[in-house]
Amino acid sequence: MQKKMAYSFPDEVLEHVFSFIQSDKDRNAVSLVCKSWYEIERWCRRKVFIGNCYAVSPRMVIRRFPEVRSIKLKGKPHFADFNLVPDGWGGYVLPWIAEMAGAYPWLEEIRLKRMVVTDESLELIAKSFKNFKVLVLFSCEGFSTDGLAAIAASCKNLRELDLRESEVDDLSGHWLAHFPETCTSLVSLNISCLRSDEVSFSALERLVGRCPNLRSLRLNRAVTLDKIANILRRAPQLVDFGTGYYAAELQPDVFSNLAGAFSSCKELKSLSGFWDVVPAYLPALYSICPRLTSLNLSYATIQSPDLIKLVSHCPRLQRLLVLDYVEDSGLEELASSCKDLQELRVFPSDPFGAEPNVSLTEQGLVAVSLGCPKLRSVLYFCRRMSNAALVTIAQNRPNLTRFRLCIIEPKTPDYLTLEPLDVGFGAIVEHCKDLSRLSLSGLLTDHVFEYIGTYGKKLEMLSVAFAGDSDLGLHHVLSGCESLRKLEIRDCPFGDKALLANAAKLETMRSLWMSSCAVSFGACKLLGQKMPKLNVEVIDETEPPDSRPESCPVDKLYIYRSVAGPRFDMPPFVWTMDEAVRILH
Amino acid sequence: MELQLGLALPTPNMLKGFDLNNHGLDQLKEMGGLEAWNKAAGCFADKDCVKSKRSFEQAFGNFTEECRTKPLLLWSGQPNEEEDHKDQKKATFSTTDENDAEEDDQVVGWPPIKTWRKKIFQQQQQPRVGRAENNRVAENENGRSIYVKVKMEGVAITRKIDIKVYHSYQSLTNSLITMFTKDKECNEDDYILTYQDKEGDWLIAGDIPWQNFVRSVQRMEIVRNWG
Repeated sequence: MQKKMAYSFPDEVLEHVFSFIQSDKDRNAVSLVCKSWYEIERWCRRKVFIGNCYAVSPRMVIRRFPEVRSIKLKGKPHFADFNLVPDGWGGYVLPWIAEMAGAYPWLEEIRLKRMVVTDESLELIAKSFKNFKVLVLFSCEGFSTDGLAAIAASCKNLRELDLRESEVDDLSGHWLAHFPETCTSLVSLNISCLRSDEVSFSALERLVGRCPNLRSLRLNRAVTLDKIANILRRAPQLVDFGTGYYAAELQPDVFSNLAGAFSSCKELKSLSGFWDVVPAYLPALYSICPRLTSLNLSYATIQSPDLIKLVSHCPRLQRLLVLDYVEDSGLEELASSCKDLQELRVFPSDPFGAEPNVSLTEQGLVAVSLGCPKLRSVLYFCRRMSNAALVTIAQNRPNLTRFRLCIIEPKTPDYLTLEPLDVGFGAIVEHCKDLSRLSLSGLLTDHVFEYIGTYGKKLEMLSVAFAGDSDLGLHHVLSGCESLRKLEIRDCPFGDKALLANAAKLETMRSLWMSSCAVSFGACKLLGQKMPKLNVEVIDETEPPDSRPESCPVDKLYIYRSVAGPRFDMPPFVWTMDEAVRILH
Repeated sequence: MELQLGLALPTPNMLKGFDLNNHGLDQLKEMGGLEAWNKAAGCFADKDCVKSKRSFEQAFGNFTEECRTKPLLLWSGQPNEEEDHKDQKKATFSTTDENDAEEDDQVVGWPPIKTWRKKIFQQQQQPRVGRAENNRVAENENGRSIYVKVKMEGVAITRKIDIKVYHSYQSLTNSLITMFTKDKECNEDDYILTYQDKEGDWLIAGDIPWQNFVRSVQRMEIVRNWG
């Protein structure tokens, strides 16, 4: 080197600069600038996000990033939410905890999604990390309240315990009493998934009362309506509250007590819970409605008139989750009252009934797309749709970033013209240039995929079911969608050709799921052989795939990129297509 | 390199004269965008693949003969096809526990509703278990959601309401009027609310005390008042 670079900084200065860079993408970019930046960056990276726990091994992470304080891991594929991934598939967190227990004694935060967490893992967390602060278990399973008791008892500085939508073996409500009297640090507590009717209510009350920084509290069904006022009065600083059971015989004193308690919560902006609602108690919320930005009524079986009344009191609403009892009329009211709406999710109240039980159609969604200029994210279950409506929605709302439409009956055509919905979804991808997530439904041919491949340049996640005619459909998507990270497909006539022709594309994505399609076992083997950086896993619960001819289609296929090589914790019904491992299996 | 992929799957929609059956990989290449992937994939375009090419032809040549088409049948299977099956399915869905309900779904995992949400939905459809054991009788009575179908003469949609949220005939009829006047312009005086009780008899609503009504109503129908 001839001369020292005039602008090279000491390492400490660079480290200080890097500490302002929080996003993973930026951090990754920084680490690629040069070797010394790579080194400095890796020593000061505090947060790691691993979108697929099998893409890398715990040791590799620890080796590269020795000073991590916060880790986020995701396990099972998204379709596990809908029972498509058999139990025992994998996604175990214990190996990670075991490695990190030794390597990261100062770990503060663990956030997991769709992973199997055991009581043993929870006990290990409680024992190993002296400064542990945040535990988020989103859609996890495998643990019981005994494990939670260990966390409550040992984690002196616990700030967040969030069990959203997890399956917990609810052995006893007394685990809450394990929080020591000295614990005053809680900021967020979400126990809404606990299904037992027992909860140690007095322990809960005392806990809430002694945590002045508690901002988010989501209760479970065991907490009855009359108890809500007691809790709220102990925590008037709450920003986010999830009720338990919101039903009781209408009694004036209970009502006024409740209304008073809600009105004392001046910071309350977000409400959820609302299982078993008695509409007569909804007006108790009116005092806080003007401040509400987020409302989750998706478990509340209340009818449209009551929903309309409530929603019309919430002009600042940004996020609404609701059942289809809201009906088109409710959505029209929403469109006229809630101009700040950014996210709407409408869930079906009777998804398995053959006949519609409510008057909710494409009209409701069209009304919201017209009336709510900030609408970005939609999840909508309905029973009929038309290309015209989809085109209107696309033209009204080019700022949509997430559009998930589920027409309940598979392969339902445009109800007006009886044509496929290709043109409608095509308009969505064409007009919504920043669309990053899309779920398709209804009658669809290869044409829709041509549109998606042509226009969906920012699309990162695509969900497809009962659609397409041939491999061309899959080929359009794999060859055209430059930003694609996750692709999940079920019951489509996609086979080997498109998959093999686009094999290299799979290394640029996080994962591909295909079930009940036409990919042959032979093609899976070939892919596994030729692409060492991909893990190709075949799932078949009935019999080994090699007991049939190679040309036979596999039942389920999960392909993901990995630098860790094939995994070894597979159950008997999962076969990896890595040659060496297959021979040993 | 040419990969002859003699796939026997039907391709009814041939875009721009593309015929996967006859022209194989070359035509895919012509569509563009394939060059980059081929370069990266490397092996699919060079001679080393000859061996695997042969196994492909073997594989696809035998496709229709030896292979069971079990997974393919799933696409053509439509849920809720037959009337009988539908009614039977509906009946079992509302009275069995969550495991049986899963088996009744003709298509696994469709519609795509999280298991978590499905379980809550099923819990809401049933009387709450375990309440009586806790001796919290007041909550027991308040807790039970009782879903009852309501049909109105001349309206296609049959609604389902939770009768427990109402505490009088007046509140029930008010709500029903609001619900159904959207579907059908009508004068409320022209209609009578009738219900079917536990014995299967159809009676006019309003004669018995509200609590007794709630305990015996099975379903309701709003009929024209011809009297």
